[in-house]
Amino acid sequence: MTPTSGEPQDSQALAALTRLERDRVERPTTAELDRGLDALLARIAAGRARRRGFVRWSLVGATAGLCILVVLQVVSVARRHLPAPAPPALAYQIEGGRVLEGGYLRESGHDGIKLFFNEGTKFVLMPGTRGRLRAVDKEGARLAIEHGTASFEVTQSSDRRWLVEVGPFLVEVKGTVFTVSWDASSERFELRLRHGRVVVSGPVSGADITLRAGQRLVVNLAKAETLITEDKPEKAVDEIVGAPASPVAPPPAVRPSVATDKPAGRNPAATPAPSTVASTQGERRWADELASGHWDRILEDVERAGIKATLDKASSEDLFALADAARYRRRTDLARAALLAERSRFPGSPRSLDAVFLLGRVEESGEHGMDRAIEWYDAYLARAPSGAYAAEALGRKMILTNDLEGPARARPIAEDYLRRFPKGSYGKWARALPRVP
Amino acid sequence: MPTRRSHVPLSLVVGKARQGTSDVDLARGLIAGEVWAIAETWHRFAPMVLMMADRALGSRSEAEDLGQEVFYRVFRKAKTLRDPNSLRSFIYSFASRELKSELRRKRVRAWLSFHQPEDLVDLSCETLDVESRDLLQKFHAQLDRLTPRDRLVFTLRHMESMTVEEIAATMDISVSTVKRSMGHAAIRLSRWIEADPGLVELLDARRGKR
Repeated sequence: MTPTSGEPQDSQALAALTRLERDRVERPTTAELDRGLDALLARIAAGRARRRGFVRWSLVGATAGLCILVVLQVVSVARRHLPAPAPPALAYQIEGGRVLEGGYLRESGHDGIKLFFNEGTKFVLMPGTRGRLRAVDKEGARLAIEHGTASFEVTQSSDRRWLVEVGPFLVEVKGTVFTVSWDASSERFELRLRHGRVVVSGPVSGADITLRAGQRLVVNLAKAETLITEDKPEKAVDEIVGAPASPVAPPPAVRPSVATDKPAGRNPAATPAPSTVASTQGERRWADELASGHWDRILEDVERAGIKATLDKASSEDLFALADAARYRRRTDLARAALLAERSRFPGSPRSLDAVFLLGRVEESGEHGMDRAIEWYDAYLARAPSGAYAAEALGRKMILTNDLEGPARARPIAEDYLRRFPKGSYGKWARALPRVP
Repeated sequence: MPTRRSHVPLSLVVGKARQGTSDVDLARGLIAGEVWAIAETWHRFAPMVLMMADRALGSRSEAEDLGQEVFYRVFRKAKTLRDPNSLRSFIYSFASRELKSELRRKRVRAWLSFHQPEDLVDLSCETLDVESRDLLQKFHAQLDRLTPRDRLVFTLRHMESMTVEEIAATMDISVSTVKRSMGHAAIRLSRWIEADPGLVELLDARRGKR
């Protein structure tokens, strides 16, 4: 081999070694080649047999899969057309007290009251807690806590609906373990969620608050303070919101959010602008602020960076967090703008679809927004007839149509609702609509 | 009437007439899935592939395994050969791809097993004396330090005497990349060999013996 132009000249040692290696290798003998060919032909034959077997088994698998799909489809259609079996009636047993006229729960000792339902759900009212058992039927139960603390272990079931009124708050339970308390004198509401999910509606936020496991919601109505925290820094939260049983006052770990329309106590140096935040702390920041109840911090960040810049540059997650914070603070215009930005900038994302529904909720909270809300609900139902918010969109549309145009126009929607969501949370309203001759 | 079956393994013998078949006809036979074409392709090109693999891997047994894999793939993919004139480069390109993968695997295995690279070299050649075998073991240890691409380019150029253009076509890379790889490999190998006193001593001793 002669080196080509520009090719580096090998050192003597390298050239010697290369020559040695080149000369080492000998041409395979005929016998070796014949052996190799036999092995190769055997491998090719085995490969063909394996491929034939694979094709055969693939066909068998595909046929079996098709059969399963057909059976599932038949079962699904049959289930849709057959009436669902009614859940068994709820029965309960009471310990430590009794139920008086009007459902009032009277404690007979000093150990509190325990209610055990036959499907496994348990309510425990702590000593001194005042409450009422408002309704128990086959669809679930409704309990009211007028003062004190109660804990709940609710067995998850799609057939039942459990509602707990706590002072002015309503907690919708989705199969969960939690403790709730209400102090009527200080107007302090607290909910600690250990497992599952609950939805809390009440007079503080403009929209429902969904809590996840491990979160704690504290609302002080007198101070108009709301805080959602993970359940660890309990002392700090107690201090901030003014819990009565907090003897020591550690320095506040988190800042309370105050229910005012304008951001208070701005400190430009304390919180970085969203663009800086995005690059340094990642997209989760606003979502975490939202989960911690720091709605005002999000709004302050936006004011500082400029609304337009934020709407143009924020991530999908941040836009959604901003929309939620604005909704909770009744900043309708900002919430609407964030949701519209979510739709226009991330049109293919699942959040874009959620934004359609939430735009309806936002319009509802504004004056004269009911028509527009119905349009958004229609748009959501057209795009996601079985989406996560489909039942609620149809329910809200029914309510708004009833308010705007009367029961005659709302009734067909109600029937549609009952047909599609017979156990939905708007079922009672739908059934209560007077029939039109 | 019962038939008697022989238990002697059958081996395919290609008739003399087939041995004179041109590469183009051979390629057409392969594409058509003819058994004679498989056997003739093996006999015609396997020595070239086996020797190249032996030089690149430093092991006859590994070269045989690789040869099996290369020709198995060649026969399975024969239908994708568009130009029957390019059967030779078709086989070379399969061989170079397999070699590159095998060199990569060897590198990973050496790293995972915590063996010195030279421990994995199998130079079972009866014609070599002990000194030559030691030398080649050390040489392969240095070759193992190259990247698979540089090593393959070096092997094709220096041991298979391929031109730069042939290497580029076989490995499906540009001519300038081949030249760059050749330069890297030669410079590094020279530097490493000179920095290895044991290797230089052995080489000197072998020269002195001659």
